[in-house]
Amino acid sequence: MSITQKYSEQELVSLLQQRQESSFGYLYDNYAGALLGVVGGIVADQETARDVLQEVFVNIWRKIELYDPAKGRLFTWMMNIARNAAIDKIRSKGYQDSLKNHSIPENADQNFPATGPQVDDVGLRKVLNQLKEEHRVLVDLSYFQGYTHDEISKALNIPLGTVKTRIRSALIHLRTLIKQ
Amino acid sequence: MNVQEYISSGIVESYVLGLASPEEQREFEQMSAQYPEVLEARIAFETSLEQQAMSNTIIPPPAFKAQVRAAVFLENQTQQAKVVTIDRGAPVVRTGWIKYAAAAAVILLAGSLFWNISLFNENNKLKTDYTAATGRLADLEKDMSTLMNPNVQMTAMKGLEASPASYTTVYWDSTAKSVFLLVNNLPKPASDKQYQLWAILDGQPVDLGMIDNQYLIGQRPLLLRMNNVSGAQAFAITLEKAGGNPKPEGPMYTLGNR
Repeated sequence: MSITQKYSEQELVSLLQQRQESSFGYLYDNYAGALLGVVGGIVADQETARDVLQEVFVNIWRKIELYDPAKGRLFTWMMNIARNAAIDKIRSKGYQDSLKNHSIPENADQNFPATGPQVDDVGLRKVLNQLKEEHRVLVDLSYFQGYTHDEISKALNIPLGTVKTRIRSALIHLRTLIKQ
Repeated sequence: MNVQEYISSGIVESYVLGLASPEEQREFEQMSAQYPEVLEARIAFETSLEQQAMSNTIIPPPAFKAQVRAAVFLENQTQQAKVVTIDRGAPVVRTGWIKYAAAAAVILLAGSLFWNISLFNENNKLKTDYTAATGRLADLEKDMSTLMNPNVQMTAMKGLEASPASYTTVYWDSTAKSVFLLVNNLPKPASDKQYQLWAILDGQPVDLGMIDNQYLIGQRPLLLRMNNVSGAQAFAITLEKAGGNPKPEGPMYTLGNR
Protein backbone atom coordinates (compact mmCIF):
# COMPACT_ATOMS: atom_id res chain seq x y z
CA MET A 1 0.00 0.00 0.00
CA SER A 2 1.44 3.31 -0.95
CA ILE A 3 1.14 6.19 1.42
CA THR A 4 0.71 9.53 -0.23
CA GLN A 5 1.70 12.29 2.08
CA LYS A 6 -0.71 15.15 2.08
CA TYR A 7 0.39 18.53 3.35
CA SER A 8 -1.83 21.42 4.23
CA GLU A 9 -1.05 24.57 2.33
CA GLN A 10 0.52 26.08 5.43
CA GLU A 11 2.77 23.03 5.96
CA LEU A 12 3.82 23.04 2.33
CA VAL A 13 4.70 26.73 2.41
CA SER A 14 6.73 26.25 5.56
CA LEU A 15 8.62 23.27 4.06
CA LEU A 16 9.27 25.25 0.89
CA GLN A 17 10.52 28.20 2.86
CA GLN A 18 12.89 25.93 4.76
CA ARG A 19 13.95 24.68 1.33
CA GLN A 20 13.28 21.08 2.20
CA GLU A 21 14.24 19.20 -0.92
CA SER A 22 11.35 16.76 -0.54
CA SER A 23 8.87 19.62 -0.79
CA PHE A 24 9.90 20.18 -4.40
CA GLY A 25 8.65 16.72 -5.39
CA TYR A 26 5.35 17.35 -3.64
CA LEU A 27 4.96 20.78 -5.20
CA TYR A 28 5.71 19.43 -8.66
CA ASP A 29 3.49 16.37 -8.37
CA ASN A 30 0.54 18.42 -7.17
CA TYR A 31 0.81 21.56 -9.25
CA ALA A 32 2.85 20.96 -12.43
CA GLY A 33 -0.21 19.93 -14.43
CA ALA A 34 -2.38 22.83 -13.25
CA LEU A 35 0.38 25.39 -13.78
CA LEU A 36 1.16 24.01 -17.24
CA GLY A 37 -2.57 24.43 -17.93
CA VAL A 38 -2.27 28.10 -16.95
CA VAL A 39 0.84 28.58 -19.10
CA GLY A 40 -0.70 26.60 -21.96
CA GLY A 41 -3.64 29.02 -22.09
CA ILE A 42 -1.16 31.76 -23.00
CA VAL A 43 1.68 29.99 -24.81
CA ALA A 44 0.32 27.60 -27.40
CA ASP A 45 3.53 25.83 -28.40
CA GLN A 46 3.89 22.89 -26.04
CA GLU A 47 7.65 22.83 -25.94
CA THR A 48 7.84 26.57 -25.23
CA ALA A 49 5.13 26.16 -22.59
CA ARG A 50 7.25 23.53 -20.84
CA ASP A 51 10.27 25.84 -20.91
CA VAL A 52 8.11 28.45 -19.22
CA LEU A 53 6.91 25.92 -16.66
CA GLN A 54 10.50 25.12 -15.72
CA GLU A 55 11.14 28.82 -15.24
CA VAL A 56 7.99 29.04 -13.11
CA PHE A 57 9.26 26.36 -10.71
CA VAL A 58 12.66 28.03 -10.51
CA ASN A 59 10.91 31.30 -9.67
CA ILE A 60 8.61 29.73 -7.10
CA TRP A 61 11.57 28.11 -5.36
CA ARG A 62 13.58 31.31 -5.52
CA LYS A 63 10.86 33.68 -4.39
CA ILE A 64 9.00 31.54 -1.88
CA GLU A 65 10.19 33.77 0.96
CA LEU A 66 8.30 36.64 -0.62
CA TYR A 67 5.03 34.72 -0.54
CA ASP A 68 2.65 36.38 1.90
CA PRO A 69 -0.35 34.23 2.92
CA ALA A 70 -2.19 37.38 3.98
CA LYS A 71 -2.38 38.45 0.35
CA GLY A 72 -3.67 35.25 -1.17
CA ARG A 73 -3.56 31.50 -1.40
CA LEU A 74 -0.39 29.73 -2.47
CA PHE A 75 -1.95 28.57 -5.72
CA THR A 76 -3.04 32.11 -6.60
CA TRP A 77 0.50 33.30 -6.04
CA MET A 78 1.95 30.51 -8.18
CA MET A 79 -0.67 31.04 -10.86
CA ASN A 80 0.31 34.69 -11.14
CA ILE A 81 3.99 33.74 -11.41
CA ALA A 82 3.01 31.33 -14.20
CA ARG A 83 0.89 33.95 -15.98
CA ASN A 84 3.64 36.59 -15.78
CA ALA A 85 6.31 34.19 -17.02
CA ALA A 86 4.09 33.10 -19.91
CA ILE A 87 3.33 36.70 -20.92
CA ASP A 88 7.01 37.61 -20.67
CA LYS A 89 7.71 34.70 -23.00
CA ILE A 90 5.17 35.62 -25.69
CA ARG A 91 6.42 39.19 -25.60
CA SER A 92 10.10 38.23 -25.76
CA LYS A 93 12.01 39.09 -28.89
CA GLY A 94 12.95 35.47 -29.50
CA TYR A 95 9.34 34.34 -29.43
CA GLN A 96 8.18 37.26 -31.54
CA ASP A 97 10.88 36.46 -34.10
CA SER A 98 9.84 32.83 -34.24
CA LEU A 99 6.28 33.97 -34.99
CA LYS A 100 7.36 35.86 -38.06
CA ASN A 101 7.65 32.51 -39.76
CA HIS A 102 4.00 31.83 -39.13
CA SER A 103 1.03 33.55 -40.69
CA ILE A 104 -0.83 36.01 -38.51
CA PRO A 105 -4.25 34.73 -37.44
CA GLU A 106 -7.00 36.26 -39.56
CA ASN A 107 -8.84 37.96 -36.73
CA ALA A 108 -5.69 39.39 -35.21
CA ASP A 109 -6.15 42.92 -33.99
CA GLN A 110 -3.93 45.16 -36.05
CA ASN A 111 -3.13 47.36 -33.07
CA PHE A 112 -1.41 44.60 -31.12
CA PRO A 113 1.57 42.51 -32.09
CA ALA A 114 0.73 38.90 -32.78
CA THR A 115 1.10 36.54 -29.86
CA GLY A 116 0.97 33.42 -31.94
CA PRO A 117 -1.47 30.60 -32.37
CA GLN A 118 -3.88 30.21 -29.49
CA VAL A 119 -5.34 27.18 -27.86
CA ASP A 120 -9.02 27.54 -27.17
CA ASP A 121 -9.61 24.51 -25.03
CA VAL A 122 -7.04 25.06 -22.30
CA GLY A 123 -7.84 26.21 -18.76
CA LEU A 124 -9.36 29.63 -18.35
CA ARG A 125 -9.42 30.14 -22.10
CA LYS A 126 -12.19 27.60 -22.32
CA VAL A 127 -14.24 29.79 -20.01
CA LEU A 128 -13.21 32.91 -21.88
CA ASN A 129 -14.92 31.67 -25.02
CA GLN A 130 -18.25 31.68 -23.23
CA LEU A 131 -18.08 35.44 -22.68
CA LYS A 132 -19.68 37.84 -25.10
CA GLU A 133 -17.38 39.26 -27.75
CA GLU A 134 -16.71 42.72 -26.27
CA HIS A 135 -15.86 41.13 -22.91
CA ARG A 136 -13.86 38.32 -24.44
CA VAL A 137 -11.56 40.70 -26.29
CA LEU A 138 -10.86 42.76 -23.19
CA VAL A 139 -10.13 39.80 -20.94
CA ASP A 140 -7.97 38.29 -23.64
CA LEU A 141 -5.89 41.44 -24.02
CA SER A 142 -5.58 42.16 -20.32
CA TYR A 143 -5.34 38.74 -18.69
CA PHE A 144 -3.94 36.52 -21.44
CA GLN A 145 -1.76 39.06 -23.20
CA GLY A 146 -0.89 41.30 -20.28
CA TYR A 147 -1.77 44.71 -21.71
CA THR A 148 -2.51 47.47 -19.23
CA HIS A 149 -5.93 49.12 -19.18
CA ASP A 150 -4.26 52.23 -20.54
CA GLU A 151 -2.67 50.40 -23.49
CA ILE A 152 -5.99 48.73 -24.31
CA SER A 153 -7.84 52.03 -24.09
CA LYS A 154 -5.46 53.66 -26.56
CA ALA A 155 -5.28 50.74 -28.96
CA LEU A 156 -9.01 50.11 -29.15
CA ASN A 157 -9.89 53.78 -28.83
CA ILE A 158 -12.23 53.19 -25.89
CA PRO A 159 -12.16 55.54 -22.87
CA LEU A 160 -10.05 54.24 -19.99
CA GLY A 161 -13.03 54.26 -17.62
CA THR A 162 -15.07 52.15 -20.03
CA VAL A 163 -12.23 49.65 -20.42
CA LYS A 164 -12.02 49.32 -16.67
CA THR A 165 -15.78 48.93 -16.17
CA ARG A 166 -16.10 46.40 -18.96
CA ILE A 167 -13.20 44.32 -17.69
CA ARG A 168 -14.68 44.35 -14.19
CA SER A 169 -18.08 43.15 -15.43
CA ALA A 170 -16.39 40.60 -17.69
CA LEU A 171 -14.53 39.22 -14.67
CA ILE A 172 -17.74 39.02 -12.61
CA HIS A 173 -19.32 37.01 -15.41
CA LEU A 174 -16.15 34.90 -15.61
CA ARG A 175 -16.51 34.05 -11.94
CA THR A 176 -20.05 32.76 -12.36
CA LEU A 177 -18.86 30.62 -15.30
CA ILE A 178 -15.99 29.15 -13.29
CA LYS A 179 -18.29 28.22 -10.44
CA GLN A 180 -20.54 26.17 -12.71
CA MET B 1 -19.75 52.46 -1.35
CA ASN B 2 -20.72 49.76 1.13
CA VAL B 3 -18.79 46.53 1.58
CA GLN B 4 -21.22 44.40 -0.45
CA GLU B 5 -21.04 46.80 -3.37
CA TYR B 6 -17.29 46.78 -3.09
CA ILE B 7 -17.19 42.99 -3.16
CA SER B 8 -19.45 42.74 -6.19
CA SER B 9 -17.64 45.47 -8.13
CA GLY B 10 -15.27 42.95 -9.74
CA ILE B 11 -12.34 44.07 -7.60
CA VAL B 12 -12.03 40.62 -5.99
CA GLU B 13 -11.55 38.94 -9.38
CA SER B 14 -9.36 41.76 -10.60
CA TYR B 15 -7.12 41.47 -7.55
CA VAL B 16 -6.84 37.69 -7.57
CA LEU B 17 -6.14 37.49 -11.30
CA GLY B 18 -3.41 40.10 -10.99
CA LEU B 19 -5.24 42.76 -13.02
CA ALA B 20 -5.69 45.36 -10.28
CA SER B 21 -3.56 48.51 -10.28
CA PRO B 22 -1.10 49.04 -7.39
CA GLU B 23 -3.51 51.48 -5.70
CA GLU B 24 -6.41 49.07 -6.09
CA GLN B 25 -4.24 46.32 -4.62
CA ARG B 26 -3.34 48.38 -1.57
CA GLU B 27 -6.97 49.33 -1.06
CA PHE B 28 -8.10 45.73 -1.43
CA GLU B 29 -5.55 44.45 1.05
CA GLN B 30 -6.68 47.07 3.51
CA MET B 31 -10.34 46.20 2.95
CA SER B 32 -9.79 42.47 3.33
CA ALA B 33 -7.86 43.01 6.54
CA GLN B 34 -10.71 45.15 7.82
CA TYR B 35 -13.77 43.26 6.53
CA PRO B 36 -13.98 39.48 6.87
CA GLU B 37 -16.58 39.41 4.06
CA VAL B 38 -14.04 40.77 1.62
CA LEU B 39 -11.46 38.20 2.71
CA GLU B 40 -14.08 35.48 2.43
CA ALA B 41 -15.03 36.56 -1.08
CA ARG B 42 -11.39 36.56 -2.08
CA ILE B 43 -10.78 33.06 -0.72
CA ALA B 44 -13.98 31.79 -2.35
CA PHE B 45 -12.91 33.06 -5.77
CA GLU B 46 -9.35 31.80 -5.31
CA THR B 47 -10.66 28.37 -4.38
CA SER B 48 -12.92 28.10 -7.41
CA LEU B 49 -10.10 29.34 -9.62
CA GLU B 50 -7.79 26.69 -8.18
CA GLN B 51 -10.42 23.99 -8.68
CA GLN B 52 -10.91 25.14 -12.25
CA ALA B 53 -7.15 24.94 -12.84
CA MET B 54 -6.92 21.53 -11.16
CA SER B 55 -9.55 20.14 -13.51
CA ASN B 56 -7.83 21.65 -16.56
CA THR B 57 -4.34 20.29 -16.20
CA ILE B 58 -1.85 19.60 -18.97
CA ILE B 59 0.33 16.77 -17.78
CA PRO B 60 4.00 17.23 -18.75
CA PRO B 61 5.97 14.14 -19.89
CA PRO B 62 7.24 12.09 -16.89
CA ALA B 63 10.91 12.76 -17.66
CA PHE B 64 10.30 16.50 -17.40
CA LYS B 65 10.24 16.42 -13.60
CA ALA B 66 13.93 15.51 -13.35
CA GLN B 67 14.82 18.34 -15.71
CA VAL B 68 12.87 20.89 -13.66
CA ARG B 69 14.33 19.54 -10.42
CA ALA B 70 17.85 19.93 -11.81
CA ALA B 71 17.10 23.50 -12.94
CA VAL B 72 15.58 24.38 -9.57
CA PHE B 73 18.42 23.01 -7.46
CA LEU B 74 21.19 24.29 -9.68
CA GLU B 75 19.57 27.72 -9.51
CA ASN B 76 19.09 27.31 -5.78
CA GLN B 77 22.77 26.64 -5.11
CA THR B 78 23.92 29.76 -6.89
CA GLN B 79 21.09 31.69 -5.27
CA GLN B 80 22.10 30.52 -1.77
CA ALA B 81 25.68 31.49 -2.43
CA LYS B 82 24.50 34.95 -3.45
CA VAL B 83 22.30 35.33 -0.37
CA VAL B 84 25.20 34.52 1.93
CA THR B 85 27.63 36.93 0.33
CA ILE B 86 25.17 39.80 0.47
CA ASP B 87 23.64 39.12 3.86
CA ARG B 88 26.41 39.28 6.46
CA GLY B 89 23.96 38.59 9.26
CA ALA B 90 22.95 35.29 7.70
CA PRO B 91 22.27 32.51 10.19
CA VAL B 92 25.01 29.94 10.74
CA VAL B 93 22.89 27.18 9.21
CA ARG B 94 23.41 28.75 5.82
CA THR B 95 27.17 28.31 5.87
CA GLY B 96 26.42 24.60 5.45
CA TRP B 97 24.89 25.45 2.13
CA ILE B 98 27.78 27.52 0.93
CA LYS B 99 30.18 24.71 1.82
CA TYR B 100 28.20 22.33 -0.33
CA ALA B 101 27.77 24.94 -3.01
CA ALA B 102 31.50 25.72 -2.98
CA ALA B 103 32.42 22.03 -2.99
CA ALA B 104 30.00 21.42 -5.82
CA ALA B 105 31.41 24.41 -7.69
CA VAL B 106 34.98 23.15 -7.27
CA ILE B 107 34.01 19.67 -8.43
CA LEU B 108 32.10 21.11 -11.37
CA LEU B 109 35.02 23.37 -12.23
CA ALA B 110 37.54 20.53 -12.02
CA GLY B 111 35.29 18.30 -14.08
CA SER B 112 34.77 21.02 -16.64
CA LEU B 113 38.50 21.76 -16.77
CA PHE B 114 39.33 18.09 -17.27
CA TRP B 115 36.67 17.85 -19.93
CA ASN B 116 37.99 20.95 -21.66
CA ILE B 117 41.53 19.57 -21.69
CA SER B 118 40.46 16.25 -23.11
CA LEU B 119 38.31 18.05 -25.70
CA PHE B 120 41.30 20.24 -26.55
CA ASN B 121 43.56 17.21 -26.96
CA GLU B 122 41.00 15.38 -28.98
CA ASN B 123 40.54 18.45 -31.13
CA ASN B 124 44.27 18.69 -31.77
CA LYS B 125 44.49 15.02 -32.64
CA LEU B 126 41.59 15.43 -35.06
CA LYS B 127 43.34 18.42 -36.65
CA THR B 128 46.57 16.42 -37.14
CA ASP B 129 44.65 13.43 -38.48
CA TYR B 130 42.73 15.68 -40.81
CA THR B 131 45.89 17.34 -42.17
CA ALA B 132 47.51 13.94 -42.71
CA ALA B 133 44.41 12.59 -44.43
CA THR B 134 44.02 15.58 -46.77
CA GLY B 135 47.76 15.40 -47.61
CA ARG B 136 47.43 11.70 -48.41
CA LEU B 137 44.34 12.38 -50.49
CA ALA B 138 46.18 15.07 -52.50
CA ASP B 139 49.07 12.61 -53.17
CA LEU B 140 46.66 9.93 -54.34
CA GLU B 141 44.82 12.39 -56.58
CA LYS B 142 48.12 13.40 -58.16
CA ASP B 143 49.03 9.74 -58.77
CA MET B 144 45.58 9.14 -60.17
CA SER B 145 45.93 11.96 -62.71
CA THR B 146 49.33 10.49 -63.76
CA LEU B 147 47.74 7.08 -64.34
CA MET B 148 44.87 8.63 -66.31
CA ASN B 149 47.14 10.56 -68.64
CA PRO B 150 46.61 8.98 -72.12
CA ASN B 151 50.35 9.38 -72.95
CA VAL B 152 51.36 7.19 -70.04
CA GLN B 153 52.19 3.59 -70.94
CA MET B 154 52.29 0.76 -68.45
CA THR B 155 54.89 -2.00 -68.22
CA ALA B 156 54.32 -4.87 -65.80
CA MET B 157 57.55 -6.27 -64.30
CA LYS B 158 57.34 -9.84 -63.05
CA GLY B 159 59.41 -11.50 -60.35
CA LEU B 160 62.46 -13.50 -61.35
CA GLU B 161 64.26 -16.48 -59.80
CA ALA B 162 65.65 -14.43 -56.89
CA SER B 163 62.11 -13.60 -55.77
CA PRO B 164 59.27 -14.99 -57.90
CA ALA B 165 56.59 -13.27 -55.79
CA SER B 166 58.02 -9.82 -56.54
CA TYR B 167 56.05 -7.56 -58.81
CA THR B 168 56.55 -3.96 -59.88
CA THR B 169 55.02 -1.69 -62.53
CA VAL B 170 56.55 1.16 -64.53
CA TYR B 171 54.47 3.98 -65.97
CA TRP B 172 56.34 5.87 -68.68
CA ASP B 173 55.11 9.14 -70.13
CA SER B 174 56.00 8.99 -73.84
CA THR B 175 55.70 12.78 -74.19
CA ALA B 176 57.34 14.05 -71.00
CA LYS B 177 59.70 11.04 -70.87
CA SER B 178 59.05 10.83 -67.12
CA VAL B 179 59.12 7.49 -65.30
CA PHE B 180 56.93 6.44 -62.34
CA LEU B 181 57.43 3.22 -60.44
CA LEU B 182 54.76 1.35 -58.54
CA VAL B 183 56.15 -1.22 -56.08
CA ASN B 184 53.44 -3.85 -55.94
CA ASN B 185 55.61 -6.26 -54.02
CA LEU B 186 59.32 -6.40 -53.20
CA PRO B 187 60.95 -8.08 -50.18
CA LYS B 188 62.43 -5.74 -47.62
CA PRO B 189 66.16 -5.45 -48.30
CA ALA B 190 69.00 -5.55 -45.75
CA SER B 191 69.90 -2.07 -44.52
CA ASP B 192 73.15 -1.97 -46.56
CA LYS B 193 71.32 -2.88 -49.77
CA GLN B 194 68.98 -0.92 -52.03
CA TYR B 195 66.91 -1.64 -55.11
CA GLN B 196 67.87 0.15 -58.33
CA LEU B 197 65.66 0.67 -61.40
CA TRP B 198 67.11 0.32 -64.86
CA ALA B 199 65.85 1.00 -68.36
CA ILE B 200 67.27 -1.28 -71.06
CA LEU B 201 67.85 0.92 -74.08
CA ASP B 202 69.54 -0.55 -77.16
CA GLY B 203 70.86 -3.43 -75.02
CA GLN B 204 72.47 -1.07 -72.47
CA PRO B 205 71.23 -0.52 -68.88
CA VAL B 206 70.36 3.13 -68.07
CA ASP B 207 70.25 4.06 -64.37
CA LEU B 208 66.76 5.36 -63.47
CA GLY B 209 67.50 5.82 -59.77
CA MET B 210 67.34 4.20 -56.35
CA ILE B 211 64.27 3.09 -54.42
CA ASP B 212 64.47 4.49 -50.91
CA ASN B 213 64.18 1.59 -48.45
CA GLN B 214 61.76 3.70 -46.44
CA TYR B 215 59.27 3.44 -49.29
CA LEU B 216 59.16 -0.30 -48.76
CA ILE B 217 57.91 -0.09 -45.18
CA GLY B 218 54.75 1.39 -43.86
CA GLN B 219 52.70 3.98 -45.64
CA ARG B 220 54.37 5.09 -48.87
CA PRO B 221 53.51 7.15 -51.88
CA LEU B 222 51.76 5.08 -54.51
CA LEU B 223 53.99 6.15 -57.42
CA LEU B 224 57.73 6.85 -57.10
CA ARG B 225 59.04 9.45 -59.45
CA MET B 226 62.23 8.07 -61.05
CA ASN B 227 64.76 9.56 -63.55
CA ASN B 228 63.51 10.47 -67.03
CA VAL B 229 64.42 8.27 -69.96
CA SER B 230 63.93 8.95 -73.68
CA GLY B 231 62.87 5.36 -74.40
CA ALA B 232 63.26 1.74 -73.33
CA GLN B 233 62.82 -1.78 -74.62
CA ALA B 234 62.60 -3.12 -71.07
CA PHE B 235 62.73 -2.17 -67.39
CA ALA B 236 64.48 -4.08 -64.61
CA ILE B 237 65.10 -3.87 -60.87
CA THR B 238 68.25 -5.23 -59.28
CA LEU B 239 69.38 -5.31 -55.67
CA GLU B 240 72.58 -3.29 -55.29
CA LYS B 241 74.70 -1.89 -52.50
CA ALA B 242 73.16 1.14 -50.75
CA GLY B 243 73.52 4.17 -53.01
CA GLY B 244 73.57 2.02 -56.13
CA ASN B 245 76.04 1.15 -58.88
CA PRO B 246 76.74 2.73 -62.28
CA LYS B 247 76.16 -0.73 -63.87
CA PRO B 248 73.95 -3.47 -62.40
CA GLU B 249 75.97 -5.97 -60.33
CA GLY B 250 73.46 -7.60 -57.99
CA PRO B 251 70.66 -10.11 -58.59
CA MET B 252 67.74 -9.05 -60.77
CA TYR B 253 64.38 -9.05 -58.95
CA THR B 254 61.87 -7.97 -61.58
CA LEU B 255 61.90 -7.53 -65.35
CA GLY B 256 59.33 -6.29 -67.85
CA ASN B 257 59.54 -5.99 -71.64
CA ARG B 258 57.70 -3.22 -73.40
